[in-house]
Amino acid sequence: MRTTQRGSRVLRTALLAGAGLCIAGAAQAADPMVKACAKDGQFVIGFSQANNAEPYRQHVNDELTAAAKEVPGFTLQIADGAGNVNTQTSQVDNFITQKVDLLLISPFEAAPLTPAVKRAMDAGIPVIELDRKTVGDPGKDYTAFIGGDNFKIAEEAGKFTATKLLPDGGEAAVLEGLPSSTPAVERLNGFKEGVKGNAKIQIVAEQAADWVPDKAQTAFAAMLQAHPDIKVLYASNDMMAAGALLAAKGAGKDVKIIGTDGLPGPAGGIEAVAKGDWAATFTYPTGAKEAIEMSKKILLDCATSVDATVTVDTTAITAENAKSMMGK
Amino acid sequence: MSDQKIERTANPAMPSPTAAPAAAQKHRVDPLAIIVRFQSLIGLVLVAIGGVIFSPRRHGEILFLNPDNIANIVRAVSETGIIAIGMTFVIITAGIDLSVGAVLGLSAVVTATMMISGGFGLIPTILAVLAMGVVFGIVQGTISTRFRLEPFIVTLAGLQAARGLALIVSGNQYINISYGDGPGLAPPVFAVLGERLFGNTVPVATIVFIIFAAIATLVLNTTRFGRYVYAVGGNERAARISGVPVSMVKISVYAITGFASALAGIVHAGQFNFGSANDGMGYELTAIAAVVIGGTSLFGGAGSMVGTVAGTIMLGALANILQLNNITPATQLLATAAIIVLAAVLQSLVRRREGLGR
Amino acid sequence: MSAPLLSVTGAVKRFGGVQALRGVDFDLKAGEIHALLGENGAGKSTLMNLLSGVHTPDEGEIRIDGKPVTFSNPREAQAAGIATIFQELDLVPSLDVAANLFLGRELMRPGGLLDVPAMRREASKRLQAIELAIDPARLVADLSIGQRQVVAIVKALSYASRVLIMDEPTAALTVGEVERLFDIMRKLAATGVGIVYISHRLEEVPDIADRVTVMRDGRVAGITEPHAPQAELVRLLVGRPLDELYPGRAKSAGKTLLRLKDASFKLARESAGWQPPSGISLEVRQGEIVGLAGIMGAGRTELLSALYGTGLAGRWQGEVAVDGRPVKLESINAARKAGIAFVTDDRRGSGLMLRMAVGLNLVMSVIRRISPAGLMSARRQAEAVRQSFGQFDIRPKNPDIAVGALSGGNQQKVVLAKEILGNPRLLLLDEPTRGVDVGAKGEIYARLRALAAQGLGILVASSEMPELIGLCDRIVVLRQGRNVAEFNGGVDEHTVLAAANGREA
Repeated sequence: MRTTQRGSRVLRTALLAGAGLCIAGAAQAADPMVKACAKDGQFVIGFSQANNAEPYRQHVNDELTAAAKEVPGFTLQIADGAGNVNTQTSQVDNFITQKVDLLLISPFEAAPLTPAVKRAMDAGIPVIELDRKTVGDPGKDYTAFIGGDNFKIAEEAGKFTATKLLPDGGEAAVLEGLPSSTPAVERLNGFKEGVKGNAKIQIVAEQAADWVPDKAQTAFAAMLQAHPDIKVLYASNDMMAAGALLAAKGAGKDVKIIGTDGLPGPAGGIEAVAKGDWAATFTYPTGAKEAIEMSKKILLDCATSVDATVTVDTTAITAENAKSMMGK
Repeated sequence: MSDQKIERTANPAMPSPTAAPAAAQKHRVDPLAIIVRFQSLIGLVLVAIGGVIFSPRRHGEILFLNPDNIANIVRAVSETGIIAIGMTFVIITAGIDLSVGAVLGLSAVVTATMMISGGFGLIPTILAVLAMGVVFGIVQGTISTRFRLEPFIVTLAGLQAARGLALIVSGNQYINISYGDGPGLAPPVFAVLGERLFGNTVPVATIVFIIFAAIATLVLNTTRFGRYVYAVGGNERAARISGVPVSMVKISVYAITGFASALAGIVHAGQFNFGSANDGMGYELTAIAAVVIGGTSLFGGAGSMVGTVAGTIMLGALANILQLNNITPATQLLATAAIIVLAAVLQSLVRRREGLGR
Repeated sequence: MSAPLLSVTGAVKRFGGVQALRGVDFDLKAGEIHALLGENGAGKSTLMNLLSGVHTPDEGEIRIDGKPVTFSNPREAQAAGIATIFQELDLVPSLDVAANLFLGRELMRPGGLLDVPAMRREASKRLQAIELAIDPARLVADLSIGQRQVVAIVKALSYASRVLIMDEPTAALTVGEVERLFDIMRKLAATGVGIVYISHRLEEVPDIADRVTVMRDGRVAGITEPHAPQAELVRLLVGRPLDELYPGRAKSAGKTLLRLKDASFKLARESAGWQPPSGISLEVRQGEIVGLAGIMGAGRTELLSALYGTGLAGRWQGEVAVDGRPVKLESINAARKAGIAFVTDDRRGSGLMLRMAVGLNLVMSVIRRISPAGLMSARRQAEAVRQSFGQFDIRPKNPDIAVGALSGGNQQKVVLAKEILGNPRLLLLDEPTRGVDVGAKGEIYARLRALAAQGLGILVASSEMPELIGLCDRIVVLRQGRNVAEFNGGVDEHTVLAAANGREA
C-alpha cells in the first residue's frame, strides 16, 4: 500500500488518459468531485488524527489502515496532532502543501481546526471529517462528516439507565472526560438528557477524570466514600469505566458501570461486559470503513456527489449481545 | 578555584604574567565556544539544508522551500516562540517558569470569555489579558523571592492554579469565538490573528512573534535591565553586593513570562477562534527545549535571544520535514531528544574548557 | 645512600604550545616535609598532577624507591602509595564523616546492608590515631574547614600511605587550625610518610618544612633551607629582588570618614561561636588604611558585612556616622549611598560572575552610571573597562574572556577594580589577597596605598598578620566582636597575636 509519493505521481501522470476517459464518460452529468479521479489511479490520502495517545484513536488508525490496505491505489499518511490544535493545524497545512488527494480529519477541537479545513477545501482537496466536526455545514464547508453522535450515544446510555438499570430510581454518578473538551461536554450533557425520563434518578456526583483510568479510579473511590448508595456509574469512555471498576471492587460495592466506545480486544469494553464486570458499553463507531468507501467513490469512481452526513449508529453492548460481538 | 585547576585547564591558553612575553597577549578564542554561541543558528542551517535535500518534490519543486510551507513552519512555532522568548529571560537568571502553557490556556479562555460573554471590546480585552499575565508573573516572582522558594516549585503550583482558574472562568466549557457586530460576538478584526498578510504570505501570528522577539532582543542586549538579568543569573550574591536590585529583577522576569504567555494566549485565541482551559498543554517543555537548544544555560548567566528564536524555528522545521516525509511522530520525538542532549553536551564541554564545570 | 622515597628527573610537560614544565628535578625523602613554592603558572600544580597521576610527563621519569613508575590515572598513583589532597576537598558535605571515609569502599554486612556501626568504629579509630576527636556520625557540612581538612587527610591516607601531597591546605584555615594541622603533619612525617606541601604562604614555610623547592617558569628556581630569609625566597619566586612588597605608610590622614562609637548589631544568621558585639568603637580617616585583626570568630567578616548592610537582623545600635553624619547602614543601598564599597573574601562565591566576561564583571557596580535612561552605552562601558585596565595589570589584557578562566590574583584585581570604578569613599576589604601570588599581592598593596593617597579610606580584615602589619597605618584588634586593642602599623606580630588571643604580650 505504501508506494512512495513520487512514484504515485509518476503513475498518475501515466494514467491521466484513463482519467480523461472517465471525465468524458461523466460529462453529461455534473463534474466529478476530483478531476484527477481514475479507476486505477494512485492516490495519497492524508489523515490528520487528533491524538494518537488515546486508545480509541489508535483503534481508528488501525481500522483505517486496514481498510485502506484493501484498496491497491491508496496510500494513507497519518499525522498525529498530539492533542494540540496548533500542531494539528500545521499538519493539515503540510498536507495541503503536499497536495494530498483527499484529507481525512478528526479535529481535536472544532473551531480551531475550521480555518485549516477551509484552506484545504479552497485548495481543491475534498475533506472527510471523521468522528468530530469542524464548524460549518457538511457538503458545503467540508465534503462530508462520518461518525457517531456523542450526544446521542450518551443519551442512549442515559435512557438505558433510566429504563433498564434503575427503573425504580436511585443514585447515579458520572465520570467526565477532559473538562471543556467537545466530546466530554457532549457526552456529559447527553447522559443527563437521557436520564431525565426517570425523575426518580438522582445524579449525585460528576467528576472529571480526563479520559484516563487512574484518575477515574481515584475519583470514583472518592465518590463512593461520599455517596455509598451509588447504583450506576456512567463513564464517558471505556478506560475510565475500567478505572471505576477497580474503585468499586476496592470499596466492595456492586455498582453497575456503563462504558463508552466499546473497544475490542482484551482491555476493551466489549470483553468487560461479556465477563459481567460492566452492565453495558455503547460503541462509538470509528467510521473507518465508511470513510474509505467514500474515498473510493470520490477518487476511483469519480462520484459527482456523496452523502454529506453519514451517521454511524451506536450499538448497545449488554450482557445479551456482548459474547456475540466479541471478535467482530 | 584552586590553583591546581587553573593550571590544568587554562594554562595552555594563558601564560602567567611572569612567564608571558608581552607579545603573547592575543587571546585565542575557543572554537567550541563559538559553536555553542551560535549552535541553534548552525542547527537551523543544517536542518534547512537537510530539509532541502530530503524534501519531497513535485514537478521539480522542492516542497520544503514552497513559500506556503515556510509560512506553515513559522506560523506553527509562533506561540511557543513567544513563550520561549519570555522563558529566555527567566532561564538567564537561572530560574524556570513551568506555568507558561497553563497561563496561555487561561489567557485564551479569558480573551474568549471577555469578548463573547462579557461584551468587551478588542482593546480592553487585550490590555486586560496582558495585565493579567503580568500580574500572574509578579505574584509568582514575589512568592519565590519573598519566601526564598525554588521557582520550579512556585511555577509548578502556578501551572495548576492557572489551569484551575481557566476551568472556573470557562465553566468547564470550551468557548467558541464567533465574529460580528453585536452581543455575544467578537470584533471581526480580532480574526486577523489567524490570517496572513502581504499577499497572503506572512502569518500574522508570526509577525507578532518576530516583533516581540525584536523588542526582547533590544531589552536584553541594550538596557540596564538586560544587564541586570545576566548579572543575577551569573552570580546572585555578587549581583546583590554590587547593588543590583536582585528581587526586582527576578520578579520582573516572571512578569515578562506572564506577559509573553498572555500574548501567546491572545494569539492562540485569535488564530483558532477558541478558548479552552486545555490550550497550551506541554508548551512549557517545548519552550524550555527551544531555549536550551538556543544556547542559553540552565545554570544562568549566559544565553541569547537570537539563539532562542533560531532554536524555536529549528524545532518547527525539523517537525515539518519529518512530516513531509511521512515519518512517524515517534521519530520526531527521538530526533528532538537527540538535539536537546547534543545542545546540553556542547554547553557542558565549553563549561569544562573554561575550567568552570564540575 | 639509599634511593629517595620519590624522585622526579627531567620532567617535561607541554600543553599545546605552552611548556608547563621544562625539565624539573624533584625528590622527597621518607619522613620529610618538603615545601613546594611557586607563583601561579610556575608549574607546581602541573608537577603535582604528574605525581598524582592526573597527567603523564612528556619526558623524564618518576621513581619510587629508585624504581621507575608510570601512572596513567590517579588510581595507579594511589596504588603506588601516593595520596593527593586537592584544595577543593573531595568530601560530600551531606554525608557523615564515616560515610565519607568509606565512600566507595563501604563495609557491608552479609546480605548487602551497610555496616554503619563498624564503619563508625573504624573511622573513630583512624581519627584518633592522629589524635583528633571528631564524632564520625557528624555531617561533614557541620565541621569547620580545619576539621574537614583532617578528614580529607585521613581519607587520603586510607587509600595510600607513603606519600601525601597537599595543595594549599592552609588557605582557608584560621591560625589555630593551621597549628593543629602542622602538628598532624609532623606526626605523620615521624611515622615515615613523605609530605609534599604546596603553599603560597611564605611565612609558614619555616614553621613546617624540612626543605623548600621554589619553582618559576616551569623550572626549579632553587632548593633552599626553610630558614632562608624571606627576601631570598621572594627573589627565587619572582626572579628579581622584591625590595618592597609593602608600600610606605600614609603621610597624613584627613578628616574622619567612618566613626563607630559603642556600636553593635545583630546577625540574621548567627554563626557558631559568634557572639553579638556589645560595643565597637573605631574610626577610619581619609587617606588611611586601617586593619582589622582577630582570631577566627572574632567578628572581622561580620563587622565588614554589617557595615555594608548585609546579614543584619534589625538595626545598628549606638553611634554610626559617615562624614560626621549619622547613617543607617541597614541595606546595601544605604551603604552604597554613603559611599561604601565592599570586596568579599569569597570572590568566586559572591564577588564575580565567573562565566561572564571580565569587562562585564568590571562594570557591574556602575551599571547605573553607564546606562543613561536605562540604555547601556557601549562607549561608557568601554571607557570604564579601559579605566580599570589602566589601574590594574589584569592579565590577559582581554576584557572579553570569562573571568573564571583568570588566575586567582587576576580575579582579585578584577574584583577590586570593579569596586573602585564606583568611586567609593570608604572601601571595605575582607581577605584582599587570599589565594593570590606574591607578585599580584605587591601590585594590589601598591594600588591600595595609591588610592588611599587620593583620599580613600580603607578598612581591611585579614588573617595574614604580616599583611596587616606591612600594609596598614593602624591595626584594630577584635576579640569576641569588640575592639580590644589598637596598634600602629609596623608593630610586631606577637603583640598583635597576644591581643587577639586575650593574653598579655
